[in-house]
Amino acid sequence: MDKKIRVLTAKVGLDGHWRGVTTVSLILKNAGMEVIFGGFQTIENAVNVAVQEDVDVIGLSIHSGAHITWIRKFVEELKKRGLEKEFILVVGGAIPEHDFAMLKQIGAHDVFGPGTLPDKIIQSIQEKVEIKELEGKIV
Amino acid sequence: MFKEEDISKIKVEKEKWIEKTGCQQDAETFRNTPSGIKIKNLYTPRDVSNLDYLKDLGFPGSYPFTRGVYPTMYRGRTWTVRMFSGFATPEETNERWKMLLNSGETGFSAAVDVLTFNGTDPDTPGVDAEVEVGTSGVPLYSIKGVEALVKDLPIKDISVALVTEPMTAVGLTSMYFNVAKNKGVPLSQVAGTTQNDLGTMTIGYITYDSLKPDKLLKLACDMIEYCTAMKQAPKWNPINFTTYNYREGGINAIQEIAFGFTNAIDHIEELLQRGWKIDDFASRLAFHLSADRNFFEEIAKYRAARRIWAKIITERYGAKDPRSIIMKYHVQTAGSSLTAKQPLVNVARTAIQALEAVLGGCQSLHTNSYDEAICLPSEEAVKIAVKTQQVVMEETGVVDTIDPLAGSYYVEWLTSEIEKRILVYMQEIENQGGFVKALSNGWLFNEMSKAFNERQKAIVEGKEKVIGVNCHLEEEKERPIPFKTNPWAADIEKERLRKLRAERNNQRVATLLDQLRRDCAQNKNVMPTVMELTAEGATLGEITRVYREIWGIWELPIAI
Repeated sequence: MDKKIRVLTAKVGLDGHWRGVTTVSLILKNAGMEVIFGGFQTIENAVNVAVQEDVDVIGLSIHSGAHITWIRKFVEELKKRGLEKEFILVVGGAIPEHDFAMLKQIGAHDVFGPGTLPDKIIQSIQEKVEIKELEGKIV
Repeated sequence: MFKEEDISKIKVEKEKWIEKTGCQQDAETFRNTPSGIKIKNLYTPRDVSNLDYLKDLGFPGSYPFTRGVYPTMYRGRTWTVRMFSGFATPEETNERWKMLLNSGETGFSAAVDVLTFNGTDPDTPGVDAEVEVGTSGVPLYSIKGVEALVKDLPIKDISVALVTEPMTAVGLTSMYFNVAKNKGVPLSQVAGTTQNDLGTMTIGYITYDSLKPDKLLKLACDMIEYCTAMKQAPKWNPINFTTYNYREGGINAIQEIAFGFTNAIDHIEELLQRGWKIDDFASRLAFHLSADRNFFEEIAKYRAARRIWAKIITERYGAKDPRSIIMKYHVQTAGSSLTAKQPLVNVARTAIQALEAVLGGCQSLHTNSYDEAICLPSEEAVKIAVKTQQVVMEETGVVDTIDPLAGSYYVEWLTSEIEKRILVYMQEIENQGGFVKALSNGWLFNEMSKAFNERQKAIVEGKEKVIGVNCHLEEEKERPIPFKTNPWAADIEKERLRKLRAERNNQRVATLLDQLRRDCAQNKNVMPTVMELTAEGATLGEITRVYREIWGIWELPIAI
């Protein structure tokens, strides 16, 4: 792929654990992706930025324990605006493994819990973007 | 401390010993401490031959306080067992505090929830109260919450620590002061601490819609000025430079102390500029340090820190009052060293770190609960944590003599080495224009990120060993059921605020909020007005909204 993958990284809610999202942003940038670092965002604003910046991927970082609530709300906002097939949505943070399936059912395309290796995040995003480009669908 | 001829003899004998045993000391055999200090396999008097006992160590309670800040140390009074605790509602936290008191706790410490330290009321539009209220600490949004928190507790005799940051510290402390007054404890007698550390919620954790660092500095200094310099609450520690929170982000022991001291220096400079003298306030500048994984490096860190602080306060600022010169601190064992896997192993980690803190001479101590990598501490886990301190205090005998590791060739050498390195790193921060400037320009964020990334890498690559995570792995057994907080907390707290707003004199609150706007605009000390506001039932959210309105929001200097 010669086009750079574009990723928006952001935190939603009041939770201020900032190092995870900055670390992953750097990892993605070093892997050759174009990273738009959103910092704290309201859901509505994050979606606006994703549209304006024409990103392929939205990466949300959540450490408050309320990941299910936030992802549900986020997906609702995407659906409301007819954008649910536009973006690859990935979630990271202090998320226990037993919530992964639930998050994917709600609409997250991948989930990265504590201890995830950098390569796994990069590979997952690259694969999903490639499939979307080739087949027009998000897996 | 040694005769020159003895040192020469030791040199000769050591060479013979190396020849005989093959215990060669070269690049291959050095090991690094977590802060990168090269450690030899053996230390002898030669390594501390320059040490001058009276000048570098002295006696406990005497300059430069390397051996402890009080002449009697734990012989006179053992450290305060102060457990950081809070969850769900003030009533439930009050129950937990009573349980802790019965288990042998000797000081209280309030962990507040995200809305409290953020200065946001739970009924603010856009706030998801169900997920934020009481999940990470106790909700204290108004004087009513604080009242419920300390109901029936002996706060006249037992000090309370309020763990919140400059943006909400003045508000929350004022609420507590008003509650204490109502309970018959006058401000002149009220004892405790407010964390009030601007570094915590900026480089450690970022508050949503934070104020700019210079405004956080102003608010922190307003409280020091009001409590200590103006002698309104002379027994209160209005600030606790919480290097623990920076350290937890992955920086090393040297950076931890350098961050804390340069932060403190910015506060000293601000108060001097306001016209106060160093001895008007320095006696109440306190610290909160970490007890991390490397046993001797941490102990050397405490000893070096006391020595550096004494020198800064006297040589640089000319303090005369002995109480100004001593560095008093609370210690917390390192939460970041705990693992979610095999959580009971955390009991051992915490016990060893508690021992470090005590051998290092702390004034007060929090020991983490073994389940804290998974959830807020359960009752069982927190009791074991309290008992851990009691084992160190009552069973080990380490309290029987003061600073028992003094004179160890290794510990003394390491203390001096760490001291040197802290001074060098402090200079780097001062080259940025000081701590607050380095925070504003993003330099500190970069240092934190760099440290965090390197530490993560070391753990992933197995260079930093973590039992049960990257070595000595075991089949995972069933994990303890995570402790869950009250799901109705949001409704309870919203109702508490609704009732308060219906009962209070809203006209009076509005007038006082206008007064606060003027105070902020004219750069006056906000504490007298906030004392009145909180007594009238103003909420933390209403007060903080004024700061944000007048001073604006900080745009974070984080660049990717």
